[in-house]
Amino acid sequence: MRDPGTAMTLGVGETTGVRMARLIQAIAARGERDAFSALFEHFAPRVKSYLLRLGASPELAEEIAQETLLTVWRRAAAFDPARAAASTWIFTIARNLRIDAARRANRPIALDDPSDVAPSPISPDLVLAAVQDEARIGAAIATLPEEQSQVIQLAFFSDKPHSQIADELSLPLGTVKSRLRLAMARLRILLGEAR
Amino acid sequence: MSPRHHPSEDRLLSYAAGTGTPGADLVIAAHVGACRQCRDAVALAEAVGGALLDALPPAPMSDDALALALARIERPANAPAPKRAPAEPDWIEVPEPVLHAARRKRRWAAPGVWVAPIGRGPGGARSYLLRVGAGMSVPRHTHRGAELVCVLKGAFSDRGGLYEPGDFSESDESVEHMPTVTPEGECVCLICADGALVPRDWVGRFFQPFVRI
Repeated sequence: MRDPGTAMTLGVGETTGVRMARLIQAIAARGERDAFSALFEHFAPRVKSYLLRLGASPELAEEIAQETLLTVWRRAAAFDPARAAASTWIFTIARNLRIDAARRANRPIALDDPSDVAPSPISPDLVLAAVQDEARIGAAIATLPEEQSQVIQLAFFSDKPHSQIADELSLPLGTVKSRLRLAMARLRILLGEAR
Repeated sequence: MSPRHHPSEDRLLSYAAGTGTPGADLVIAAHVGACRQCRDAVALAEAVGGALLDALPPAPMSDDALALALARIERPANAPAPKRAPAEPDWIEVPEPVLHAARRKRRWAAPGVWVAPIGRGPGGARSYLLRVGAGMSVPRHTHRGAELVCVLKGAFSDRGGLYEPGDFSESDESVEHMPTVTPEGECVCLICADGALVPRDWVGRFFQPFVRI
């Protein structure tokens, strides 16, 4: 028998995104370990994949994937499905942990006072526009022309300045920037209509 | 009032993707904190990041990964929000290291001018706060590399534009200018510069050794 109050209840036609959001809420409300396991199985390998793409070693990628999911457990109550998709929220956590790890490793911002801890400058709780539904976002990305989706992918999955991305594609920097701009403008229109 | 001068779309995208430099991220964070429009742009980019993440082919975790994670979790504690240092009066909201520098690193560099270093990024980019008194001008100069600025308090005019709290400005070696603080009061800016200013007149050449920016 299913308990209608638990996260493991799958509504008919429920999308993965909706299910993932409910799992996070079940962690927040009731500390459900089964919900955590299900989230872990879905997201940890994807977060690891994300970090590997950005050049992390397999050990570091695994460690940050672990740490990302543990942060999801600890901060589940801060997740607001009205403001962000589960994947968006988890992406921001993984991104911030990666930034923190990079800054600890090579201390690129050598703070003038060694007692300072470099915090992440990025709040994971930024106000969200109209984008809580990752299926819809994915569909919007799929409509981008190939040349635009290529630069968007590189902007997220290559840890290089846009000038270097331009060099590698043998394109002028201005072209890369304008493709990024066009891609984001198009996504804004497509997703803005969802409001 | 919302800011009228914004970072470029590609700056916002690097920030959202987490691929920007620490110094640039700090200036953009200050602007984004004050700007609803750019907050939305960042949120959209983060949603794109989330969707791209979700669509990645999974990379298998080690066999005991889930067991390890389960061993490390407990019931979520409702941790209190981290204490924030009280903001500076009349400033837009800024990240913690900026407040820290403002309180503990200020050094008067010239009459009416103080500088508070925040840190150095890769390639030697320097982040600092600059306070310039009412009605004063920064001596005419250009730049080595990019210079990102966010106004935290007060206002300055530059190249026909007025920059008020939250406004963002980016210059590089193609820009020669002499920003002038409005007469109403002091102006404090958060700045990240790839290289030192290049003074273009004798006033600047005279002052630079003292101000060291």
